[in-house]
Amino acid sequence: MSRCDFKIVLLGSEHVGKTSLVIRFVNSSFNSATPYQNTIGAAFCAKTMHSNGKDFNIGIWDTAGSERYEAMTRMYYRGAHAAVICYEPSCSESWARLRHWLQELRTVEEECKVYLCGTKKDLLDSGAVKREVPEDLVATYSQGLRGHFLTSSKTGENVEELFQKIVDDCAADINLMRNVEEMRVQLLKEEAAYKAKNKEHCSC
Amino acid sequence: MEDVLDEVVSSEDLQKFEKIFHEQLHQGKVTHKAQFEYAWCLVRSKYPTDIRKGILLLKELFTSHSEGKRDYLFYLAIGNARIKEYNKALHYVKSFLEIEPANQQVLALERQINKRMEKEGLLGIAVAGGAVLAIGGLVGLGIALASSKK
Repeated sequence: MSRCDFKIVLLGSEHVGKTSLVIRFVNSSFNSATPYQNTIGAAFCAKTMHSNGKDFNIGIWDTAGSERYEAMTRMYYRGAHAAVICYEPSCSESWARLRHWLQELRTVEEECKVYLCGTKKDLLDSGAVKREVPEDLVATYSQGLRGHFLTSSKTGENVEELFQKIVDDCAADINLMRNVEEMRVQLLKEEAAYKAKNKEHCSC
Repeated sequence: MEDVLDEVVSSEDLQKFEKIFHEQLHQGKVTHKAQFEYAWCLVRSKYPTDIRKGILLLKELFTSHSEGKRDYLFYLAIGNARIKEYNKALHYVKSFLEIEPANQQVLALERQINKRMEKEGLLGIAVAGGAVLAIGGLVGLGIALASSKK
């Protein structure tokens, strides 16, 4: 029996690369040959991470960016401990959408730790695309949030760092950790009760 | 472990989208969006009757609204898997993969369905085995009774 200690949700407009980010993080891979496919609803992934000498199961909900799913996406960030809002620095529309999610989170999930993530850094570095979202604007918006990361799912740059920072922040959150501990104790109790019941059953 | 087949809609959300759908139904014009959102909640309900209703709404959308076909197929597969109609679920999965053979979400769903079938299939054999034993016992008892009557 396992459960997720931390719930992380990925938000952002379509085609910014949320799914690629998750795949890079979970499978350490990137496949440029795969054609673009919109995520349907939301996809779930889990991974065990280490922080402060402890192991944590983290669950990531990779939500669909397309606007037709907007009403549904709201249900996935409910109760999330952390949210990563993704945008493409070379696409101002994706930045406008990021501001929308930021506002939503502030009103609906005040407790949620929010991170900004600029994607496709490799394209920016190589000059294949031009930056449309000014860096100082990003810096202004990042203030008061938990962090801003510029990542590349293709090279893997900053991907591990982003998720490690999230887990470290969660592990350092006393209130959140208290809940995690309580849940683990509860789970152990349930497991013990389950085992005891099975033993009773088989008294051979 | 959380996964797409275990995920359950909150009654609040279900009611919210149900209300929108019924309001539109009352006005005589239901949008694809409202119908899809309601169906999407229904197939993630705890109750099989809700899931069946969701499946009907999705089937209707599938034939009337070609633009959202992949979404409808995906949730038709999920709905059927959740009421243990695994063969139907796999049929929808296969149709989806014919169009997008490398879709990770659908491939993951296929693995999950197969896993469940395997788990419950073994269970099924165990139950059937038990029934055979029970019938054997009854027959044995019958023979014993018949012979004792003689």
